[in-house]
Amino acid sequence: MAGAQPAGLPSREADSAAASAVKGLQADGRHAEARERYTELVARHQRRASRIAFHYLRDAAEADEAVQDAFVKAYSHLSTFREELPFEVWFTRILINGCLDRIKARTRRERWLVPMPESPGIQREYTERVAGPGPSPEAHLLAKERRQQLADALSRLPERQRTVFMLSHYQGCTSREVSALTGLNESTVRVHLFRAIRKLRTLLAAEPAVELGDKRRVNP
Amino acid sequence: MSILERFAATRHLDDDVLAGIWSAAATEGCPATNPHLTSCAHCRSRYSALAEWLDGLSVEAHAEADEAFPPERLAAQQAAIFRRLEALEKPARVIAFPRTTRPATTSQRFARRWIATAAAAGLVIGLLAGQILDLRHRLGGPPTAQRDPVQIVTRPTVARQFAVQPASLSDEALFYGDYGDAELGARSARYMPELDEITPRARDDFDRNR
Repeated sequence: MAGAQPAGLPSREADSAAASAVKGLQADGRHAEARERYTELVARHQRRASRIAFHYLRDAAEADEAVQDAFVKAYSHLSTFREELPFEVWFTRILINGCLDRIKARTRRERWLVPMPESPGIQREYTERVAGPGPSPEAHLLAKERRQQLADALSRLPERQRTVFMLSHYQGCTSREVSALTGLNESTVRVHLFRAIRKLRTLLAAEPAVELGDKRRVNP
Repeated sequence: MSILERFAATRHLDDDVLAGIWSAAATEGCPATNPHLTSCAHCRSRYSALAEWLDGLSVEAHAEADEAFPPERLAAQQAAIFRRLEALEKPARVIAFPRTTRPATTSQRFARRWIATAAAAGLVIGLLAGQILDLRHRLGGPPTAQRDPVQIVTRPTVARQFAVQPASLSDEALFYGDYGDAELGARSARYMPELDEITPRARDDFDRNR
């Protein structure tokens, strides 16, 4: 394999080296080797990319497609990649743009579609489960509810706050990286993150009270 | 240290300030450094609770995403990406649109072309001949109205003892002569009995057969 990965390099530098090597192989017309080398990059960023796409889209199949599209797009546009920017940042930008496009398309689609009623199979799921070494159905249900609450709260955040929160908190990006990813100023990134946390605290703390209030309104 | 600064240092931090300290630490990728936090145990514990809550959110979100993407799915995804990259470099296969069930041979196409040409030539020749004949007719040919009169001979009927007079007028002279409408009507009425006489009748045939 051409251009083996240099030993002992941090992952970012290794990414840049791999991306440059793939770019060079593509330019030489050695496509099979370029693909082989690109697989390295795919393997390194796949999980992280899947998480980001899933947090955005909240649907595993769609997130899967978005990740595939982003990797294919990055490969075919690798000639435009500039080495001074980390590959991770460049690729994440492609991925996030793809996810946002999909969300827009979904919103347009849902405007014309009537949602189907929840199938009875989902309700029967817990009763049909057999006892096993994993978490109990109750714990599973509670975790699911918590995740749903968190997802709802995140979806209520403005788009920029949500993006900044997910990138800096979920993905561990610094303000400089988030700034490079989103095109926002570093100080603006900090402000968005602060506001996102404050709003999330309010939303997640107010969630049970809101539900109680609704119940009281329905059954006085 | 002034009184205000001392007051600010002893006053507990509110939630917004704690969130600000946490977000600054998170975006810089370094631990929180605040003089009040190091000295105030109460605020430190509140800050820890906030950090724990936020870390919990992150852990929860990662766990959910990892549940949706088990290693098998990631492997399948990687294989799909590799396949798509391979397909990207192959030229697209163009499938011909099925125009006919049987492929047309060269000789068939040649014959078809000749048929079309012959038909077109025949049409042109026919039109030209028609025009020439018409022209000749106009310039000096005998007029159609002056043709020899047709002798219409009918069989004598048995029942009625009429001798049929031969018609001495030609058809065209009769129907398209230089008559006005009124005169034509009068002449037609005059010839009607004769026409009636020469018309065979079913009854005559019946009588003859009997």
